[in-house]
Amino acid sequence: MIWQEYSVGLLVVLACGIVAFVALLLEWDDLHRLLLIDLVEIPSLGVIALLGTDLAEALILPGLVVGIAELLALSQIYLHKEGIADRKVSGLNIEVISKADAPVIISVILIVYGIVLSGFTGGGIAGLGIVFFFMARGAKEHFSLLEMASGVSWALWIAAFFVFMVLPQYWFLALMGAAIGILLKVTVKMALVGMMWGRPDE
Amino acid sequence: MSSLGGAPWYILEFGDELVYFTPYTTTLLILALVFTVLALVSRPERQVEALFGTDAIYAKDTTVDQMRFRRFMAIACGCASMGAVVTGDLFNFTLFVALVGITNVGIVAAVKNRHVQNAAFQYGLVALTATVPLFAGAGIVAATTGTLSIVALASGTVPQAPFFARALLCLGVVGEGMAPFYAAKAEMFRAPGAPYVIMCSLSSLLIFLRVAEVVMVI
Repeated sequence: MIWQEYSVGLLVVLACGIVAFVALLLEWDDLHRLLLIDLVEIPSLGVIALLGTDLAEALILPGLVVGIAELLALSQIYLHKEGIADRKVSGLNIEVISKADAPVIISVILIVYGIVLSGFTGGGIAGLGIVFFFMARGAKEHFSLLEMASGVSWALWIAAFFVFMVLPQYWFLALMGAAIGILLKVTVKMALVGMMWGRPDE
Repeated sequence: MSSLGGAPWYILEFGDELVYFTPYTTTLLILALVFTVLALVSRPERQVEALFGTDAIYAKDTTVDQMRFRRFMAIACGCASMGAVVTGDLFNFTLFVALVGITNVGIVAAVKNRHVQNAAFQYGLVALTATVPLFAGAGIVAATTGTLSIVALASGTVPQAPFFARALLCLGVVGEGMAPFYAAKAEMFRAPGAPYVIMCSLSSLLIFLRVAEVVMVI
């Protein structure tokens, strides 16, 4: 039964992949191809997700990170290639969003929900809240401070792993440390990724 | 373990992840290591440009400072290739190969020249699409055999990985290792690149050699 479902799922995912490939073949505009690449990325994660075990979850995260890294690199290359890297982007510049209270409320909801979830998923959601807030307000951010917070929380995460290995009797402490570390790290990293428009020295 | 590259000398285990050293993978590792060290210590080549129709020759001065990013990317690429050739976990192998792809994009794209960046962009698209067959190959192997460990897959205690999965794995590695074609297109005429651009070709060669071993033993 499960095998049949897996085969059907695999077929669907590969069909999606082929549709995306055909779209890439037919499209000649570089910006549109960049957007289509995002579409191609999804089947590559879907095929891992089909495993349906906790292994799949552990494998999706690095796959996702690799995909995002390539996408960011490609969009930077696109900006330089087209000579539009020096255009200033300082926010969404939509009056309703930058004046109203709604972005604050939505961001707070996302951050609180992210903290409740904790771990990697929670970090992603809380980070999204922060990105949305900064995008709405176009605020000046302190990259160095955020980078430091990211580094410190990563160190906390790694330290928790060493506790698991060396002092297994304190596993609960290590679990909490790892959960908080990864929550902070992903939140900050996501906020950084979302706000790094252009080079920091500009 | 029946292995194409000879019996493993040493298997280093971190839980279910492992790294193994057979004569074959060790040879590849040493190659990657030597070229990474070369990229670390060598200075960029000086390009000489002849002006057509006259007998003027310009020697361009290329300093290490201008090449800092490319050197960093070349070293990162060497590290990723080293990971790809010794890892004993199939999914880690695909991740390292994807990392080789990204760093190759970085090596090519660091030149501030529209033609070069065009080539890098097109290669980046190929490298990103190649992650689909790459991850699909690893995913199907895990689904059909229940393990991702190359040592376990080679031992014959689990069912053999399907041909389709192995073909996808090869296809993915070919896509990620496509860099030399684009690098040659961009570098030959337009940009000062040596020695860092060598890493593109070498890392592609190494991952091709490794994937040949992987698909034959799993």
